[in-house]
Amino acid sequence: MSGKEFFVDRYRQLGWEFEDAKPRQAIRINTTNAKGKNLEERLQTAGVQLEKIPFLETGYWIRSSQVSVGATAEYLLGLYSIQEAAAQIPATLFTNLKDRTVLDACAAPGGKTVQLADLMGNTGVLVALDVKKQRLAALSNHLERCHVSNAVVYHLDARQASRLKLKFDRVLVDAPCSGNFAADRDWFERRTVADVKRNARLQREILAEAAACLSSEGEIVYSTCSLEPEENEVNMDWAIKHLNLQIEETNCHGQKGLTEVFGSQLDSSVARCRRIWPVETQGFFVCKLKKRVGKR
Amino acid sequence: MKAIRDFAFQCGAKLSLNPDFILNKSGRYFLINKNLRGYVQRDFYYAGTYLGKAKKGKFFPSFNLLAMLAKGEANKVVVDKKAAWLFICGRDIFRRGILTVRGSRKKGDHTLVLNEFGECLGFGKIVCRLDGAAKTEVAVKNISDVGDFLRREA
Repeated sequence: MSGKEFFVDRYRQLGWEFEDAKPRQAIRINTTNAKGKNLEERLQTAGVQLEKIPFLETGYWIRSSQVSVGATAEYLLGLYSIQEAAAQIPATLFTNLKDRTVLDACAAPGGKTVQLADLMGNTGVLVALDVKKQRLAALSNHLERCHVSNAVVYHLDARQASRLKLKFDRVLVDAPCSGNFAADRDWFERRTVADVKRNARLQREILAEAAACLSSEGEIVYSTCSLEPEENEVNMDWAIKHLNLQIEETNCHGQKGLTEVFGSQLDSSVARCRRIWPVETQGFFVCKLKKRVGKR
Repeated sequence: MKAIRDFAFQCGAKLSLNPDFILNKSGRYFLINKNLRGYVQRDFYYAGTYLGKAKKGKFFPSFNLLAMLAKGEANKVVVDKKAAWLFICGRDIFRRGILTVRGSRKKGDHTLVLNEFGECLGFGKIVCRLDGAAKTEVAVKNISDVGDFLRREA
């Protein structure tokens, strides 16, 4: 159960006709650092033409560039980050991040961690975890470059987050996933349904731990860059049935989450999730969850 | 702590840091605030603002620390666009690229290097008297610049 034909047929069953996609390069302005610095003008002077991403407040596509956007002084000074457009969505779904205690459960290499810190205005506390020690160096570099001052990083598996004995107001679970063909040229050759199922199990374990660390009024944002429903809608259906969570309405870019997957009917609230089939962005999935009010 | 203070002194800056908010993790120094205090456990990897690391008796400042020093009184040279670009590529600064000098002009002192927007790009060592140097002479030898973020990943 692998190969391009197999997966393309799955996508057709889910209602999407396969088309090759090439995600556009995007940047996100770090507003805390870039405030009053005329960044757009500076980049234009350097030969970088930007195009506002319509569904993001601080995101821009690179229309054209005479320089490497990953090597400008403005980048090195942390005024902006290079971050794929769809990947900029999850952190923006939290309400009121200032002065909160926030967990980024699978943080490295740190693009979303820096974004969270920016949205928090470097207030409150941002705890960032990653299971792979070698990835923490990239995360640390990212934090230093962007002058993040409210983060504490631990080398810790997200499935053991409760070891910290902390409760969090906001938890981002940008879960390790199977990825998607738009972000990986060899994706169809490398992935099987067995991988997808293995990742889905891991994601459930992380979600369960995230729910255990969540304060009573807290919010979880779950995201993957996978197109496979087992890692997305099916996991959300499982989460609301097993973790006393409910799915919140989100008005972000993307289509409604699938409520029927390969003949199985999921809870109708799963439609509140957002699924992004790859066109200008990579494939993506995002869902906002809260603790259920009262027993079902 | 002493390493950080000594470095600030070399740059002509004074730094008052509360030792209660400085953490030392295997030679790496971090500045935390009140909020973070209750969240930093013994086995943390990174916390608050990274200030730099001490290794074999030498202190390597972070770019956060340099930016902090640049906000106050310190030795600084403001350089033009071309010199700024060459500096972040790891090159030294010629006298002709320097627009203004603040603080020490003395050979051997450390100085922060700022671009025309007042942003700190790194620091270097003054290698000739900045007053009397010829335009074609190397004036500031690059010690560390923000281009290091790219070189670290390579």
